[in-house]
Amino acid sequence: MREDDITKMTEERRRLAKGLCFFDANIWLGDPEAFPLAEEMAPESISEVLDRRYVTGGLISHWRGKTVSPQAGNEAVLQSVRGNRRNLYVIWTGLPLFLPESGPVPGATQTPTEVRAVRIFPKSHNFPLVSWCLGSLCEWLSARRMPLFIWHTELDWPSLYLMAKAFPKLPIVVETQVQKILYHTRPLFALMRDCRNVLLEISNLAGQGFIEYVTWEFGAERLIFGSFWPVNDPLVAIGMVIDAEISREEKALIAGENLRRLISEA
Amino acid sequence: MGDGFIIDAHLHVGRPGAFFAPATEPDDLLRIMDKLGISHAICMDHRSIVEGCGAGLDAHRELFDRSNGRIYYLGVFHPRRAAACLAALERAKDWSGFAGLKIHPSCHGVPGDDPSYESAWTFAARHNLPILTHSWSVSQYNPTQYLSTPDRFENYVRSFGQARLVLGHAGGRGTGRLQAIRLAREYPNVYLDFAGDIFCYRLIENLVQSVPVEKILFGSDFPWFDPRANLSRVLLAEATPSTKIKILRDNAIRVYQLEVFQC
Repeated sequence: MREDDITKMTEERRRLAKGLCFFDANIWLGDPEAFPLAEEMAPESISEVLDRRYVTGGLISHWRGKTVSPQAGNEAVLQSVRGNRRNLYVIWTGLPLFLPESGPVPGATQTPTEVRAVRIFPKSHNFPLVSWCLGSLCEWLSARRMPLFIWHTELDWPSLYLMAKAFPKLPIVVETQVQKILYHTRPLFALMRDCRNVLLEISNLAGQGFIEYVTWEFGAERLIFGSFWPVNDPLVAIGMVIDAEISREEKALIAGENLRRLISEA
Repeated sequence: MGDGFIIDAHLHVGRPGAFFAPATEPDDLLRIMDKLGISHAICMDHRSIVEGCGAGLDAHRELFDRSNGRIYYLGVFHPRRAAACLAALERAKDWSGFAGLKIHPSCHGVPGDDPSYESAWTFAARHNLPILTHSWSVSQYNPTQYLSTPDRFENYVRSFGQARLVLGHAGGRGTGRLQAIRLAREYPNVYLDFAGDIFCYRLIENLVQSVPVEKILFGSDFPWFDPRANLSRVLLAEATPSTKIKILRDNAIRVYQLEVFQC
């Protein structure tokens, strides 16, 4: 009897998960830093793994872009997705444009068509999140309608507020993974109230009722599905969306439509 | 109560000061439980987690009655307030809905292998009660977690074989999980719940492969985390329905001896 109930609940969730066409902003290749139990995902296994977790495609990142150098990560991630027939695109790692950095970084070389977004690591790469240092990259991204991604562990909220105000046409996606975003919701939600160009990736937006709160207060357009795979399991964020107390249309926006629109303009 | 049958074996009520939470109170919890098919829960209030049990147990007893027996509760043992906590536990041990003890070495600043926990283990063993402990991995950004690594509980587990220990959060996201798995494999009285943000890829599948399925309990850590985060990953995991029902219900009934639920 109970097993029948479980089967029914499982099938219902499978149907919802498949129907929402999840498109993932946060798929990672390379050796996960500081997660000793996480296993590196092989590029050739991406398609099979995506299918098993109800994800139709997304943006690929490479750990080397944080741990070694942006150039090393950018080269590696581009090689990994070229020739892959899946619906996969690339996030490159960026640096301030002022100094003439060599190699494949945004603004320094021609940007391949697969690259649809840029992520920065201000703390790891030792530059402040301020206009006089990073403004040139923000202008470059704004001109190309390309979104900027940033982990919440790599920023400070007052600086991000000033950057978002200074570049109102630049979509800035705050990523929630790695550490608990719930301890930062007081500044985060105030920032989202004041800066409409700030969006939120949801891989760790698992606090009670947060999906509904953001949807009702700021709009479903502000949420971006991401998994932080293979450190995190996509089923966590998928579960938060499919069971959310919001409309089917709002779920579809969060699951993938927002991200597809965001990168299609790049 | 509706058609719910799932048991959330690790959650809280009360307002946490450290973060904004839209819903934290018992009525919020019951509404969410109804929506998700969660019939019962094992609860500890936030104030008792910080200060140790006392008046919080009376509030829990009232909540158990008011919820028609749906929200069971644990008494928090604070090793720096041992005498007061033991007195409160002694008073509550026969109350309806009282389901065991909770310890939190990281919150209380006392390592899990400290001698000051011995009276709690003795109490649990004498009264055939389980102990739920916070457990985690050594963390670069949360230093007090080293007080709660699973290995620290091993001597007590060995010495008090008649007391059941649930390693809350299954040792966390790092190497503490390997310790938790080892203990669950070696000791019949050790169990794991994966409440919280142990969002590791294929965690459910890996735990099922690593320890007897009877050792694994579903929990949410509400209101820190939404029960939906862990519920769908169990339902959508690559596991059989019989495995899922054990994780989502049967194991909690057995570990916490929720007699009203015997089917």
